Amino acid sequence: MKEKLKTAVDWLRRKGVTYADCRYVRRENESIQVTDRTVDSVSRNLDVGVGIRVLVNGFWGFAATSQLTSAELQKTAGLALQIAKASSVIAHAPAVLAEQDIYVDHYCSQCEIDPFALSPDQKTGLLLQVTEILKKAKAVKTAEASMEFYKTHKIFVSTEGAEIEQEITESGAGYRAVAFDGKEAQTRSYPNSHRGGVATLGYEYIESLRLLDHAERVREEAVALLKASPCPDMQTTVIICAPQMALQVHESCGHPIELDRVLGTEISLAGGSFLTLDKLGKFQYGSDIVNITADATNSGGLGTFGYDDEGVKAQRTPIVEQGRFVGYLTSRETAPVIAQRSNGAMRADGFNRLPIIRMTNINLEPGNWRLDELIKDTKQGVFLDLNKSWSIDDKRLNFQFGVEAAWEIKDGKLGQMYKNTVYTDMTPRFWNSCDAICDRSHWEVWGTPNCGKGEPMQTAHVGHGTAPARFRNVRVGVKS
Amino acid sequence: MIGKEKLIKKLEGILKQSRADETEIVYHGEESGLTRYANSMIHQNVYENNRRVLIRAVLGKRIGVASTNSMLDAYLLATLDNAITIASTQRENRQFAGLPKPTPYKGVAAFDKATASFTPMQRARVVQRVIKEATKHGYNMAGAFSTSSLEIAVLNSNGIRAYHPATAASINMIAMSETSSGYAARLAGKVAHIDATALAKAAVEKCQNSENPQSLEPGEYEVILEPAAVAEMFAWLTFIGFGSKAFQQGTSFLAGRIGRKLTSELVTIYDHALDPRMVSMPFDFEGVPRKKVVYLDKGVAKGVVHDRQSAVKGKTKTTGHALPATASSQGAIGINMIMSPGRTPKAKLIAGVKRGILVTRFHYINGYIDTRNSVLTGMTRDGTFLIENGRITGGIKNLRFTDSFLRAFKSTVAVSRETELLSSWWGGVGCILAPTVHLGSFKFSGKTEF
Repeated sequence: MKEKLKTAVDWLRRKGVTYADCRYVRRENESIQVTDRTVDSVSRNLDVGVGIRVLVNGFWGFAATSQLTSAELQKTAGLALQIAKASSVIAHAPAVLAEQDIYVDHYCSQCEIDPFALSPDQKTGLLLQVTEILKKAKAVKTAEASMEFYKTHKIFVSTEGAEIEQEITESGAGYRAVAFDGKEAQTRSYPNSHRGGVATLGYEYIESLRLLDHAERVREEAVALLKASPCPDMQTTVIICAPQMALQVHESCGHPIELDRVLGTEISLAGGSFLTLDKLGKFQYGSDIVNITADATNSGGLGTFGYDDEGVKAQRTPIVEQGRFVGYLTSRETAPVIAQRSNGAMRADGFNRLPIIRMTNINLEPGNWRLDELIKDTKQGVFLDLNKSWSIDDKRLNFQFGVEAAWEIKDGKLGQMYKNTVYTDMTPRFWNSCDAICDRSHWEVWGTPNCGKGEPMQTAHVGHGTAPARFRNVRVGVKS
Repeated sequence: MIGKEKLIKKLEGILKQSRADETEIVYHGEESGLTRYANSMIHQNVYENNRRVLIRAVLGKRIGVASTNSMLDAYLLATLDNAITIASTQRENRQFAGLPKPTPYKGVAAFDKATASFTPMQRARVVQRVIKEATKHGYNMAGAFSTSSLEIAVLNSNGIRAYHPATAASINMIAMSETSSGYAARLAGKVAHIDATALAKAAVEKCQNSENPQSLEPGEYEVILEPAAVAEMFAWLTFIGFGSKAFQQGTSFLAGRIGRKLTSELVTIYDHALDPRMVSMPFDFEGVPRKKVVYLDKGVAKGVVHDRQSAVKGKTKTTGHALPATASSQGAIGINMIMSPGRTPKAKLIAGVKRGILVTRFHYINGYIDTRNSVLTGMTRDGTFLIENGRITGGIKNLRFTDSFLRAFKSTVAVSRETELLSSWWGGVGCILAPTVHLGSFKFSGKTEF
């Protein structure tokens, strides 16, 4: 395949393009869904194709095909050229790419147990054991459990001489119990809500989750939520669990630091960013204990890879240092705007999508608290656990997030359980109110496999290393 | 486009090779181009030609699903083998009702040659006109314009041979000044039915009228929700309220409430793929003809959509709303929602508001807070206005709403005569036809800085 890509790139070079890259992607996915005592679906899906991106006199064109003959690749390359020509109908300053090191390399992600080598029955068997435990309470109307695996093989070839091959394996699993008493419905999940836990690892990650060990607690908490009180509407201290902190980082830091959003090119769908260029290096994003990095080299993170889809090597970049905003996620086209080289954040959702700036692993670096000590240190507040709902404005300032379960904190101890709890704030005020972050023993990289952005819509796999953290004077329990 | 005869023949060749008890093949092929613009220039311009062939193999009540995006025989046969192998290692799904038998469906004329052959250069020229409207006023313009053609076929070993070709064109745009923005969007089956210049003028007018917005305190207000705002709310309701899964597991706000009056009698909401105004497909992903399903009839809860599996569980019949087998665990979902129009001309709705807010669209709505009570939250965006004594008096900074759909729509004062067709989930065959709605009470819970 690499030779076919090189031929297409050579053909484009002869056509006089400023730059071109060809990207072959073969993505295999296995998805298993169990509901109650039934296997809903087991599916294996394969996507193979080539995306060709060309820059001609400063204007972009992109075309993709799932037919892999040399003739089809040349036809697709020709189409990308035509599209670049159409882009030039509206004159503007030509796109210029930042310099970068050129690599010829092969990268393989960490994977001890190949999930695709295991029988689907072994996986469904484990999920059915989980749902059996969840269904042991009458009030649990629905028990759902799932696993998801991806194996991606990419070859990237560019007119600059890059030749990069990558093999990436990702694994995930999770479950939830839905309790219903005829009036009220409540949900609890493990290890995280929505899609569970996902990592750039093999089946050893699923084993590390110890799915069976948590099912009884999840079941009992789902049932208990039916009788819980709603969280009162008040300003208070909140301690947020690590997976919810991952969502918090994702929405209020990860998206606003995408430089394409800042420059306005994502405005029509996802929106812009309050972190405008004048704030770089000056803005006090959070309190001085807040340190955030973008790190595509984390072991097992869902935003971990060898090279991005422009051939830029994975790297670790400071985003917030002692509360001060110091860095964006960039691409080769956007980085020159801030006089930098790309920090390797361009990724595409498959062969048929154009790479756009995506989060890598956006991590809140650990502090020095133990969670039990942090709760003990809190006179009054609310402990918030696992995401239920998420909403934020199009510049990423006003957010409102809901959680599956919350507990009152009173005189250093967890008290009564609350249901339907939401908290809301403005991003900079919230992060500047952070006065404690738990230590590395509580820190984990949480995978977010469903980050949507772009038109046509692209879904990215990204990660967030987080530990529980405490914030002061946050509004909770917003009434509807 | 492969064409009906050639496509069916090719897939029948694969079907014949199956050694499973029952086999289903779903084909979804799409050729699409999208031109994206921002800062009044084209910054992304893409084309793709792709397909998905999804094979479901059934051995007794054991099911395996596999898919590929290749039409090469070797890949298709390997995918069939894969589906059979998965089925052979699976446990029985006792609720599986078997693959459907053929039922005649009414074809929908949804293919437009001019849309299918619309070129990148033609799209660029349209975008050029859109941008021109903004630059006349010193504004920036951002948005996306896409044209696509697709073919969907469903075949199974019981004799189903369903085929549907379609085209779609979709445009969205935001005109932007230093302090304001204005939005317009439209979906159509034919590109000729999109008047991009008129939409651009509307977006520019909203941008002009909302310059230098004032800050308004959150609270309870009368609102005028324009079609894009209504459609964004409804897109969530399909999942949390009107789908079979939410209904059967009890999380839906309709569960246990069928026959009860839940909103104003001015509210009638239904799913109807065969309505000629819709961009849709006439059968579902099991090849079952789509039926009209009424969710709320003059405010009274009537029912939800079903596929074959949920119909067995609910002791009812499928309504033809199955998703592809890879998404079957989501249950049945309606993808062609309509809110019945009212009798009031849109222009007169504002005149009926003493003090309230006009919302052009919402951003980032989420409906998982309390699904039993249909609580939604989201931000206003790209054109939020204060109405005083029946007329718009200026733009206001964006607000967050947190409210129950049922509570808010109980207070419906009037519904516009006019409707707009807008994109929704399942682009290409999914859409929402929405009017403008005047609500007597709507709760805003927060505000932002712009």
